[in-house]
Amino acid sequence: MKSICIIFNKVPYGSQSSRELLDIALMAAAFDMPIKALFIEQGVLQLINKQQPEVLDIKNHSATFKALELYGIEEIYVDANALNNYQLTHDDLMPIAELIDNNAISEHIQQSDFVLML
Amino acid sequence: MAIFSLLVTATPYSAQGQFSALQFVRVAINNGHSIKRVFFYADGVLVASRLNHPPSDEINLTKAWAKLAIEQDIDLVVCVTAALKRGITNHAEAERNALTGENLDPAFEISGLGQLTEAMLESDRLITFG
Repeated sequence: MKSICIIFNKVPYGSQSSRELLDIALMAAAFDMPIKALFIEQGVLQLINKQQPEVLDIKNHSATFKALELYGIEEIYVDANALNNYQLTHDDLMPIAELIDNNAISEHIQQSDFVLML
Repeated sequence: MAIFSLLVTATPYSAQGQFSALQFVRVAINNGHSIKRVFFYADGVLVASRLNHPPSDEINLTKAWAKLAIEQDIDLVVCVTAALKRGITNHAEAERNALTGENLDPAFEISGLGQLTEAMLESDRLITFG
């Protein structure tokens, strides 16, 4: 089976790209494709706890990240450098992702048949 | 020779993505490659409206896709969720959702995200035009 690497690199609610990417990930998971999710650049903000997009009248998709494991997406990684740039730590995020460095990110991308970023 | 699929999310006219995607398909075919499917998602679905009507001295992206699809027998698939959200509908979806009118160009087909996954499984490469 071909594998996919899904890269989240956009802010959570200023752009809908990540929600659209999330839908692609869930559908591909339903087809049993092996999926890795990477959160890089501004995308690390997707995993911050207790987001309240409801005040902006935007549908909340953050909770879906917590459900990724249920869909069989267990390899979830966060760019440690990007997190550091925002002065955030692992404790600020939903406890679903592992911190990795740039080299590891490159390796995950290279190992995947398809790489998707919206 | 490779089998390609395209994921087109670029909004028509305001951005270059749709123009580039069309050129990519033409060049790929001219070089002996094949196109499994072009999947339109996010703002990319807006190109599927047959009511898009740019000035006559500009390329009509909807007709350009339709011409390519007919000449080369290419599958143009529009994501149903993204399309309905943006006012793109065919007769069946209009009836199902109690909408007045329909505007999907007949060269395009409305379907789900499963068609994108299937396209990936049956292609060597997926190229995104955003």
